[in-house]
Amino acid sequence: MPEGLFGLNPWLDGLIRLLMIVGLMTITAMGLIYIERKVLGRFHARVGPQRTGPFGLLQSLADALKLIGKEDLRPRNADPWTFEFGPYMVFVPIFLGFVVQPFMAGFSVRVLDLGIMYFVAVSSLSIIGWVMAGWGSDNRYAMIGGMRAAAQAISYELPFVLSLLSVSMLTGTLNINEIVLSQWQVPNIVWQPLAFLIFFIAALAELNRPPFDIPIGESEVVGGPFVEYSGIRWSMFFLGEYASLFIMSVLISALFLGGYEWPFGTQLGIGFQFLLTVVKAAMIIFLIIWVRASVPRLRIDQLMGYAWKILLPLSLLQVLVNGFVLVYDLPRIVLTIAGIGGVILLVSLTERAIRLPRVTHQSSLVTQSEAAS
Amino acid sequence: MVTESASEFETQDLLLNVGPQHPSTHGVFRMVMQVDGEVVREVIPYIGYLHRGAEKLCETMDYRQGIGFMDRTEYLAAMNAELSYVMAVETLAELEVPERAQWIRMILVELNRLASHLMFMGAFGVDVGVFGTPFIYAWREREAVIDLFEEISGDRMMYAYLRPGGLAWDVPTNFVPRVREVLTAVRQGIADFDGLLTKNEIFIARTKGVGVISAADAIDFGMSGPSIRASGVPLDVRREEPYLKYNDINWNVITRTEGDVYARYLCRLDEMRESVKIVEQCLERLQPGAIMPEKMPRMLRTPPGEIYVRTEAPRGEFGVYLVSKGGNRPHRLKVRSACLSNLQALRHMTIGSYVADALIVLGSIDIVLSEVDR
Amino acid sequence: MTSEETTESAAPVATLDGTIWAEVDRALAGITATAERGLLDVIVHVPPAEIIRALKALKADATLNFDYLRSLTAVDNEEDGIDVVYHLYSTTAKHNLTVKATLANDNLFIDTATTVWRAANWLERETAEMFGVRFNGHPDPRTLLMPEDMDDTFPLRKDHPLAEIEVLQGEGMGYSEEDQ
Repeated sequence: MPEGLFGLNPWLDGLIRLLMIVGLMTITAMGLIYIERKVLGRFHARVGPQRTGPFGLLQSLADALKLIGKEDLRPRNADPWTFEFGPYMVFVPIFLGFVVQPFMAGFSVRVLDLGIMYFVAVSSLSIIGWVMAGWGSDNRYAMIGGMRAAAQAISYELPFVLSLLSVSMLTGTLNINEIVLSQWQVPNIVWQPLAFLIFFIAALAELNRPPFDIPIGESEVVGGPFVEYSGIRWSMFFLGEYASLFIMSVLISALFLGGYEWPFGTQLGIGFQFLLTVVKAAMIIFLIIWVRASVPRLRIDQLMGYAWKILLPLSLLQVLVNGFVLVYDLPRIVLTIAGIGGVILLVSLTERAIRLPRVTHQSSLVTQSEAAS
Repeated sequence: MVTESASEFETQDLLLNVGPQHPSTHGVFRMVMQVDGEVVREVIPYIGYLHRGAEKLCETMDYRQGIGFMDRTEYLAAMNAELSYVMAVETLAELEVPERAQWIRMILVELNRLASHLMFMGAFGVDVGVFGTPFIYAWREREAVIDLFEEISGDRMMYAYLRPGGLAWDVPTNFVPRVREVLTAVRQGIADFDGLLTKNEIFIARTKGVGVISAADAIDFGMSGPSIRASGVPLDVRREEPYLKYNDINWNVITRTEGDVYARYLCRLDEMRESVKIVEQCLERLQPGAIMPEKMPRMLRTPPGEIYVRTEAPRGEFGVYLVSKGGNRPHRLKVRSACLSNLQALRHMTIGSYVADALIVLGSIDIVLSEVDR
Repeated sequence: MTSEETTESAAPVATLDGTIWAEVDRALAGITATAERGLLDVIVHVPPAEIIRALKALKADATLNFDYLRSLTAVDNEEDGIDVVYHLYSTTAKHNLTVKATLANDNLFIDTATTVWRAANWLERETAEMFGVRFNGHPDPRTLLMPEDMDDTFPLRKDHPLAEIEVLQGEGMGYSEEDQ
């Protein structure tokens, strides 16, 4: 669709849209920071920000001003190029992911036919920025954090993509807009509960949100790759984190919850569609914050094991079941039943994984080192 | 998993310096970890950043001035620390503590145990990675206890309320109802932690089977408190060498057999329930009366002698070894710190575990650096 | 308080009835140990040369079974030397014992107890840096609480100055007129 908005030159149109994105993203991220602080405060049985502006609404603004005013430090031994460009490498792919997000009918930056492909390709790029930041900082916490981030991203990319794949199998398209439109009767979560759950978990890992915040684990690696950053560079990481949180929530609502279409999206017009998107995304965001307030962090081996041994096989299973149903043209209710079965399987496998005896090489090492000392 | 056989790709271990400024070291504790990927190969702890020479200072102060140093030695359970010290002085000076003072002391030390364990719950929850929630929950309930202490002693942390012979002054008239209020709050806090952490799958996965220490090793390392009771050793000074009135009431020594981080957590949680029980019984037995002995000398002097008094503080055995050569000052005062002995076993418990585990093992032995370094 | 060659039939024995001294005496056969009754525990004086043998015997003895080292420290008695004090406990038999070894000021060497209990490790490091007692054969003879280069001053010895506090007390903060 080369036609630009308001009939403008496509290049100019593209520029306007990108500027809108940047503005919108920044405001969204700041709003999300405020919301997260307020909601977390409520979970903590406290009130959250309340001194800056009415109900503390200007807290994010104050934070932003403070961060901009701070000195942008670089450790002497840091690798200048990787250190300075790390934040951009995190930030830019997240913004690029915004391009295909469907907010209302006809109101995404671009409707790409390979929208899902594009999103997956772009969103996994930001991990390079994490590793760059981790390596370039010349800090061991940062390096461990960067390595953890890389390991985690590679592991969770697979169930992430596979559960996306099951959705597009069902709808027969990779175009996110068409996926949304195809849910005008029933949202995909009804047909694909397992894929939704896997996608949600994998999205948490992609976002490095608890319980998968291992790369930045505050109590272990003290912020991981960000440990040496300050001022505006650090705030870019921060902004990127919340921007990707928003994007991921919009995507989940578009793919599984019917996006702007279900219920009555087309009938009630564009304003209602926007409201639908926002409400659904807000629900997802609230869920993510809720998870953050209530669960501890996983350990790196548990995280990897969970991805490779539980999520990946189950998401493959989901793809297989989808294929089976589509090829033999079975009624869709089979998908629902299979999906619910899959969810039960996932939960019980998780339960069993917790009860497993821990594999450790603690005792042998202790005897070794004590013999040495 | 990194195993020995992976070494054909010549890898280099990384030295990771944790602390003295680190969110999980609970103060100025430093350890240098040699890590192979994520596996800890060697841990070298460094302590002493908070050494203030409290023992030496106490030798230059008279007995009553020493109480303040005990507060600062173990600031999360100052009442327990004071108790050991004043009991040592009382035994040396042959002072008889009145009934009422003993019951009040018992209530106070058990309440302080509750406050201290709540602090552990909060800090440990954050170590394991719950963002802030357990910390604020713990803080809320601890606040109730601290408020009560403030009403009684006038200070929120450094109470200096116990005196050789009894108490500095009597408790306020609304003491009993206030303690009951606090107990209600604490009971709610225990229930909250039960709901938030005890049954949490990820919490269990993170803590079960981590940092295991056997009963024999724990004894050999001189561990004490919940850390050794979680390994199945029913070592509790309150039961084995009862002081105050612990013999007159019903309570249980909490032990578990697993010896891992989860067991240490559960031990503390159950101990809090026991403490609530103890305080309730004490409140029923509390009678009006004197809080100081009748003939209290204006200047407290002790005959020559020595004594090692031990009491069960929240973190373990808090011992005070007091040597007197007569006069109004100790000749030598040694604080036996439970944290120091527990911390010694850290290396044994962490080598071979993951970096993340090493930090929760450190959290699970619940150190207070000012007590370690004194 | 010094552990000179006193015989076991010395005066304190009469007050040791009902304590574990009889058992301890049996376990310490061949070691010149003397006992006195402390306020809570029995205090046994052992010559420094035999301290490890004594501690090992106390730990190995089946009925005594002192498997738990409560505390290890030292007391500076100025001209009478430095006492190294061990507080032992048995987690099975539930009894206590204080063991003391008196070191002469010109010979502050004693064998390490880390071979008996691993708990002694840090406690001995602390005692060493605070009192200048040298523990022979200690596996890790670094300083514990003090800076690494502070190996010639021993803060807990009585001759270590505490100037500021003395001055303050001279100005009326302390009870200097009541001092012994």
